[in-house]
Order: sequence, then structure tokens, then C-alpha cells
Amino acid sequence: MIKVLSIARIVWLEMIRRKDFYVLAIILAALLFVLLTADVFGLGSTPRYLLDSGLLMAWSASSVLAVFLVGRQLPSEERDGTIFPLLAKPISRGQLIMGKWLGGWLACAAATVVFYLLVTATAVLREWSPHWLTLLQCWTLHVCGLAVMAALALALSTRLTYGAAATTALVIIAGSVWMLPQVPTLTMYASGWRMDAMLLLYYVLPHFELFDMRRRLVHDWGPVDWTILARIAAYAALLTALLLVVAWLSYRHKMFRRSELL
Amino acid sequence: MGKMKALEIRGLEVTFRAGRRPPVHAVRGVDLSVEENEVVGFLGPNGAGKTTVIHVLLGFIEPSRGEAMVFGMDVRRSIARQRIGYLPEHPQLYRFLTGRELLTYSGRLFGLKGGSLRDAVEHMLEFTGLGEAADRKISSYSRGMMQRIGIAQALINDPDLVILDEPTSGLDPLGRMEIRRMISDLKARGKTVFFSSHELSEVELVSDRVVILSSGKVVAEGRIEDLVPAGKRLEQYFVELVSDSREAVG
Repeated sequence: MIKVLSIARIVWLEMIRRKDFYVLAIILAALLFVLLTADVFGLGSTPRYLLDSGLLMAWSASSVLAVFLVGRQLPSEERDGTIFPLLAKPISRGQLIMGKWLGGWLACAAATVVFYLLVTATAVLREWSPHWLTLLQCWTLHVCGLAVMAALALALSTRLTYGAAATTALVIIAGSVWMLPQVPTLTMYASGWRMDAMLLLYYVLPHFELFDMRRRLVHDWGPVDWTILARIAAYAALLTALLLVVAWLSYRHKMFRRSELL
Repeated sequence: MGKMKALEIRGLEVTFRAGRRPPVHAVRGVDLSVEENEVVGFLGPNGAGKTTVIHVLLGFIEPSRGEAMVFGMDVRRSIARQRIGYLPEHPQLYRFLTGRELLTYSGRLFGLKGGSLRDAVEHMLEFTGLGEAADRKISSYSRGMMQRIGIAQALINDPDLVILDEPTSGLDPLGRMEIRRMISDLKARGKTVFFSSHELSEVELVSDRVVILSSGKVVAEGRIEDLVPAGKRLEQYFVELVSDSREAVG
């Protein structure tokens, strides 16, 4: 476990020392400031509107961070040649995969805390009284979703280039968030292989909408039952484990040739 | 019971296949062994398969046929690398870390912790003369300092077998002398060194034995004084041998 944690710590240090996180945090803060000061159609004074927009931006920023931070880990090790001294140490490919995912996920979870603090502080300035338990549940499920996103990006990056892995992961995530909830309705108008294909996608692709509690928080519907939260967290754990196994299977026999990499 | 071999390769073959392109036979049936406390120079022209063999030993590449063992352990098991230190040609390291952080990280990956990790890091910083630059980012290091921090991360676990891939490549005469001194020092401490090089004069100075590879095959192996006829230099012998073996393959 110490080896996995050591690899994870390096991913964490990388996030702290690179500009990605700071850029995202500054962009989020700037957009929130604009929302706070602008008063388009009188919505600027509505805390729910501000909270809804802010949380959407926090979701987008953390998803981008998870995909790009974790998705670049293995390809950049290979491109830069740092994979050689790393794999020359007594670590298995499985430990490498676990360490990269864990480091990336924890770094994104910490970044999400900062994003939520920014959004909450802005909404409080508009006299929103936060329901802390719902906020905590919202963050918890969000972080569960990030675990799946990070594992997805990592699994894709074992065989694809950084750009291809990140793009594919973002397309899958966006498709899952926007399209999958519509599939049950669409199947009513489809038949034959089209319906089968839609149902296959519905059951195979990750349901990221399950991790999204923003509406409960924005409309003050109160916290969800803890058993439901636990089930969704278990679903995230299962999906993450599956994706990490896929990543390991894809990476365990991968060959590294200097002439190809440098 | 006989002495355990530090390194043993039997019938090693490596073939690279990529799509519809014809397969590349990088290594064609290599057998070689290295005894403990030996310094062995691994020679060959570019493309002979030296780096491929080293990469098999470190588990970066899986052999198509044959086997490779380090201290009696199959190299495909990660634990086999516990007693190996490896310095790649032009070591590429995490530029956002400081020298001390890199060594701490490397030590942890070898399972070092607490006081023994701190001692090992301090010892390697002192050994490589990087004490004053220890808390600077690696991105600010010169080429020579990069080589030295590369050596430090390779030796952090006090390895019994040190594998060096072109260690003097691109170094100035002073840097080459430091590498030579390091190899002699490792030998004096009972370590085994297996290194590839194009600098034949360097190899002559530090090796107990050489293995010469050409077109993926071992074409000569032994002590330099046994291989090279009187009055000839290793370089002359090497050029003739490699030319002959290429003609034979061609």
C-alpha cells in the first residue's frame, strides 16, 4: 500500500505545481463574480439561480480536471520517458494503475472542495441559507462520480494518446449525462435493433446523472435517505473497480520501447 | 551449492509485431550470464538489440521466447527488481519535483521508510554531490546534475545488481571519469554491474568481461585479454567482428 500511496502523492504534487487547477479556480471565481454583479432579467439577485449556475460550473470544472489530470498520467510518463526509471522499481503495473487513479481522484476531490466553497460563499452573499447536510451529500455524490470519471479516463489512456483518451472520456461523460436519462422515453418510439442498441447503451454506460444532487440543493428539497446515498456510492465503487480492472488488463502486458517513445 | 548468478538469460528471443508490417526480430536467441561481483560491458552497434535485452531484464518488454532471471527470480515478477538499480540513457525524471523529493519517492518505491529512508536520501545526495541543490526543482538542473540525480535514484536501494544503459552518453570527460569511478567503487563494494556502452575505451578500463551483440545475437563473449588478439585494441576487434557478423547475416 505504501507504494500505491507514494505514486498517488506524486500525482497530487503534480496537480499542486501545475497551473490547471488554479486556472479553473480563477475562471470559476471570475464567472461567479460576473453572476454576482450582473443582474440580467433580475436573476442576479436570486440565490437559486446563482447556486444552480455555480454548481454547474463546479461540475464542469471538476469533470474537466478529473479527465485531464488522470488521463494524462500514463501517456505523459511514456512520452517523457519517466516510465523507464519508474517501472524499473519493484512495483507492479496494478500498483501503478491504482496509485495514478487514487492520486488523481483525491486531488480532484480536494479541488472540488475549493469549487464548492467558492460557490457556497457566493450564494451566501446573496442571502442563501445553506442546508449543510444536503450540501455534504451533494459533494459526496459528486466525488463518487469523479472516481468513475477518473477511472474511465485512466482506462482509456492505457491504449490511447492523451488527447484521444481525454476527448473520448469527455464525450462518454457528456453523452451519459445528457442522453442516457432520455433513453427510456426514446425506446417507446423505437423497435427492433434500434431499441436493443439503446437499451444496451442504457445499461452499459455509466449513469452519471445519479451522482448529481444539484437540484435537491438548489430547490431546497432536503437530504436524501442515507441508504440511497450508500447504494449510489456502491454503484460508483463497482463501476470504478470494473474500469480499473479493464485498465490493468490493458496495461499489464504493454511493452515499452525507447525508440517508439522518445 | 553453486554461487547464484546475478543475471541469467537463456534462449531469449524478442519479436516486435505491429499491424501488417513485417515482424522485427530484435533479439534472436541470446544466452548470457553474469556472476555476482562482475563488471560486464554489453557492446554492440546501434540496433543490435542491447537496449531491448536490458528492457527485458527490467520487465518493460516481455520476451517472445526464452527466459531471463535476476538472482534466480523471473524478471516478469516485480519483486525481481528489488535488488536492481537502473540508470537509463539520458535519464528523464519528474521535473516538477526537487532532487530530495525524487529520491524520497524512489526510496519509498523500494519499500524504504522512516529513518532508513532519510539516511539513504542523505547518503545519495552526499555521494552524488547534490546536497546544495537537493531542494531545487529538477527542471533547474544542468545535464550533469540530471545524470547525477539519475544515478542517485538508481542506487537509493543499495542494489546488488546495477544496470546502466549508455551511462557515459553525452557526458563530458569529467562526467565520464565520474561514471568510471562509480563503477569501480560499486565493484569494490561487491556489487554486480551490467552496462551497455559505445565508449569502447571506457569499457576496456572497467570491465571484467564483455558481451558483444550484433543483429540480435551474441557474437563474442569473454575477458577482453582472451578475446582481443595481442597488438590490437578492443575497438579494432569490435569493428572487424561486427562487420563480419553483419555480412554473415546479410
